[in-house]
Amino acid sequence: MVHFYIDAIAAIILFAVGLYGVTSKSDFLKILFSLEMLLNAVILLLASAAFNFGFTHGLAIAYVIIVIATLEAAAGVLIFILAYRITGKIIPDNLNKAVDDE
Amino acid sequence: MSVLILAIAIILAVLSLTQKNTVPSVISFVMMMFLLGIYYITMDEKLLGLFQIFVYTGGIVVLTLFGVTVIGAKFPKYEIRPWAYAVVTIVVIGMIIVPFLLPIIPYEGKAIPLKDQVKIFTDFYAEIAIFMSVVAASVLYGSIRMLHTLKHGKE
Repeated sequence: MVHFYIDAIAAIILFAVGLYGVTSKSDFLKILFSLEMLLNAVILLLASAAFNFGFTHGLAIAYVIIVIATLEAAAGVLIFILAYRITGKIIPDNLNKAVDDE
Repeated sequence: MSVLILAIAIILAVLSLTQKNTVPSVISFVMMMFLLGIYYITMDEKLLGLFQIFVYTGGIVVLTLFGVTVIGAKFPKYEIRPWAYAVVTIVVIGMIIVPFLLPIIPYEGKAIPLKDQVKIFTDFYAEIAIFMSVVAASVLYGSIRMLHTLKHGKE
């Protein structure tokens, strides 16, 4: 049980770090990393629940989350390469304005 | 041990967001994901741990580095410090090997009964064999593709 508390605290801190990154960073790559951190916090919590309480259904959800994270990362990298080609920056702010100017 | 791994992972997560240069940020991210994978393996979720390591450090990070290379980020130049690299390599290899040796430790100095041998193999090594074969197939495909491109040029 103590083990679960440690994991839960670590997952909450990781989630907080990810949330901070998503809301405050202006770099595409760091926003992508922050999103991955959010997903990893959830995976950590699910794995810990499976280990401590035998909640094995959670592991299946964790695998699905990993697959979704992979697809999301692929789409994210594609978007930031396209954004760089259009605007010359990897900053998502005012991206729609830059596209309109183009 | 688990607290240490999680604490280092969180520090690396913060570092990956606060680094100004892109490449050190990516490397911090890789190390964080790798440590989380190791943590899952020590938690007896071996398949999840291997998935984590292969997907994040093998897939997403390589994709990200590819993206960074395409947009033309400058890679920082470090001083060559062979001893530092040697120590880091030994530590990383040690961290990889420890979870592999954990199932065998209770039998130290004794012969492993056949029934338990089968259990250890089916618990862990069969999964590793499957993943390694997938990795080997990918490397083989990549090599053949590269040789084909070198021979015939870009299509």
